[in-house]
Amino acid sequence: MARIRVIFENGDPERVIEFNPAEAPFHHDGQPGSILDVLLGNHIHLEHACGGNCACTTCHVIVKSGFNKLSESSEQEEDLLDKAPGLTPTSRLACQAVIDDPDAEIVVTIPRYTINQISEGGAKPEP
Amino acid sequence: MPEQGAPAASPPRRPVYRARVERIRDHNADTRSLFLGLIDGGQLGFVPGQFISISLALENETRVRPYTVASSPEERDAIEICFNQVPAGVGVRYLFERKVGDELQFTGPFGAFTMDRVPEAECVFIAEGTAIAPIRPMVRRALGAASRPPLSLLYAAPDSEHLLYRKEIEQWSAAGVNFVPLLAPAFKLYDRLIAETQRRWVDADSDRRRHFYVCGVGKGVLALRDLLRGAGYERRAVHYEQW
Repeated sequence: MARIRVIFENGDPERVIEFNPAEAPFHHDGQPGSILDVLLGNHIHLEHACGGNCACTTCHVIVKSGFNKLSESSEQEEDLLDKAPGLTPTSRLACQAVIDDPDAEIVVTIPRYTINQISEGGAKPEP
Repeated sequence: MPEQGAPAASPPRRPVYRARVERIRDHNADTRSLFLGLIDGGQLGFVPGQFISISLALENETRVRPYTVASSPEERDAIEICFNQVPAGVGVRYLFERKVGDELQFTGPFGAFTMDRVPEAECVFIAEGTAIAPIRPMVRRALGAASRPPLSLLYAAPDSEHLLYRKEIEQWSAAGVNFVPLLAPAFKLYDRLIAETQRRWVDADSDRRRHFYVCGVGKGVLALRDLLRGAGYERRAVHYEQW
C-alpha cells in the first residue's frame, strides 16, 4: 500500500492515508491517482478552485519526502507553479502529481497560504 | 501523532460571495451567459482573464467548478459567465437549470491567465468557442490602454453561430483590431488554428517580440504553446490556459 502523510500548516491535525494506487481514481477531480484525488477520496479537503484542471495554484503542496516517487511535472504545471506564492524546489500541484508506486511513502505540507487571488479592489465577500 | 480515520480537516476560510442571477443571454442553442449580481452589494475585484469557482449544489454533494468571467472589471452592474453544453457536464447542466432570481455562491477570483498590464509589443489573442470568455475583457483592456499596441484576434468555431460576441468583435475590428475569424469542423479546429498561427506569426516574419494569449479546450492549446515557444517567442510572452 502507498502512504501519504499530510501536514497542515494551519495547525489542523496531521493525517495519514494508506491506499492502493491501482484503485484510482478515488474522486472526480484532478488526475486519477494524484495527491488531490487521493486526499479528496479520503475526505480531506484540499482546495482546487479550477476543479483540478491545472489552471490555478490553489492545490499547491510542498513535498517533504518522496518527491521522486511522483509523476514528472509537465510544462503546464511548471508554468503555473512559477506564479504560486511560497514556491519551493519541491512544490507540486496536487491535482497533477500522480502516485502510481504501490510502495510510495509521501509526506506533503499544505501551505497556509495557497491563494492564487489577485484582484483590483472591489467588494468585501462574506467572511 | 498522526490520526488515521479522523474527521475531515477543516476547509480553508476562503471568502464566499453570494450572487443572484440577474439576467440570462442565450448566444445560440447550446451556449449561454449568466449575469450575476452580488447580493450583498459592491463589486468583485478581478483581473481580465480570471475565473470564479462556483459551488454547485448537486443532489448528493456540492462540487466546485470554475467559470471564467467574460465581463470586464469596470462593469459595475454584474459579472458575466459564459458556458456551453458539454456531454456529461454536471456543472453546465446545473447552470443551464438556473433561472433569473436564483442564488449562487462562489469564491475567487482565481487564475494566472491574466492581462493585468497591457504589453508594449503586439498582442495576439487566440481562442475557440466559449474560450473567448477570458479574451474578451483582455481585448477590452488592451483597446482602452493609453498606448495601445497592435492587436490581433484569431477566433475559431465550427460555425458562425458559435463565434460569440460578433457585434462587439466587429466594433473591435472597426477600432483597429486585426480580426481573423476561422470556421472549421470541430475535429479540425486546432489543426487550422495551428496552421494559421504558423503562417501569420511564425513564417511571415522574424519578429519575436509579440505576446500571445491562447485559450481553449484540449491539447491543441498546448500544441499552440509549443509552436510559439519553439519558434523563438519568450516563454513568458506565450500565455495560455487549457481547459
